[in-house]
Amino acid sequence: MSISLVREHTEKLRPSRALYVPFPFGLPFGRAGDVDEQHRVLREALDLLREPSGPVLRDYDGPYEDSGPGGALQASQIDASDPEIDVANEVTLMRRYYEQWLEREGKSTVGVSGVPPVRFRGIVRFLEAVAGGQQDADHRERPADVDVWTFLRLCVDDLKAMYLEARLVTGPPNELPEDTARWFWGETALGALLRRLRDRLDESDDPALKRLAFGIAR
Amino acid sequence: MPSLDRLPQINRTALLTRPVEVHHDTPFAPLAVPLSEARLAIVTTAGLHLKGDRPFTAEDGSFRVIPSSAGEAELVQSHTSIGFERASQARDINVVFPIDRLRELVERGALGAVAANHYSLLGAQQDSTRPAAVSGTELAKRLLGEADVVLLTPT
Repeated sequence: MSISLVREHTEKLRPSRALYVPFPFGLPFGRAGDVDEQHRVLREALDLLREPSGPVLRDYDGPYEDSGPGGALQASQIDASDPEIDVANEVTLMRRYYEQWLEREGKSTVGVSGVPPVRFRGIVRFLEAVAGGQQDADHRERPADVDVWTFLRLCVDDLKAMYLEARLVTGPPNELPEDTARWFWGETALGALLRRLRDRLDESDDPALKRLAFGIAR
Repeated sequence: MPSLDRLPQINRTALLTRPVEVHHDTPFAPLAVPLSEARLAIVTTAGLHLKGDRPFTAEDGSFRVIPSSAGEAELVQSHTSIGFERASQARDINVVFPIDRLRELVERGALGAVAANHYSLLGAQQDSTRPAAVSGTELAKRLLGEADVVLLTPT
């Protein structure tokens, strides 16, 4: 059976059993830490197995407070600023909070680039070189079987993940995702750098680089 | 996701114009064993994988194996889309990959077992048929042997 986030798409796909949930993208099982809600979604999905025939498309019957956007708030929806701090220094500061998260929670979503956080300043210099238009920008820790643009995206993902987890330590408890996005894109030097990076990549005629730009900030 | 009629126009248009396969029939198989005896596997398009496993790249149709013994601390996400918020997933992987919730169902006797492996693919691709075309046959073969129920989850 499947969970559906876009009912109109599921109506066309006609899977054998589907439960449509009204939650934002990224949250098919409901809110973080809400065990009851997550169990309710699972229970209603598993109940679909009782149906003698299909296709079955049912709407989630649990309580839900509809607030906020259906997906992540994007950079273009947030006023940019130009924080007066070197990005690499900001990354070093964020890493200290990230390490508190790691010690407290024992888990992290950082790790797709393969570069350890203690060397993320080098990633920043790599991104700044690309954003500045340096044609042969590269990073010495890029694996030989990973092209430079894929590696760039993975580096961006790791930096974003570290900032998110640092914010979970420093930000208000249970901060709404859209407020986290406003902080990241509106108040951090990294957010400003990623906007410049996006703009540089989007200048290219190469569709792959334009897609990459769209996947970094939009 | 909130229904399309409540989204901003730009989001509504993007989703309504996205190519989606239209199926006119639906294979349907009743559950062969009681749920309390069934093995359940998750197949997610959240782009999750074990740390150290090969990250997903753009328009990647391959799959990753996530052993059911893996804990949250062993997982990362290399999804290429930024259209979904990730802070909640960082706090609690169960919002997209309910591994702890499934284990609790097994402990209560409501579910037989978590299958030996879960599987992860990359969603939000321009060609939504690619993952099935590249990985569908192999995944189906594995799942037929490993699970009685498959929970397909988006992100």
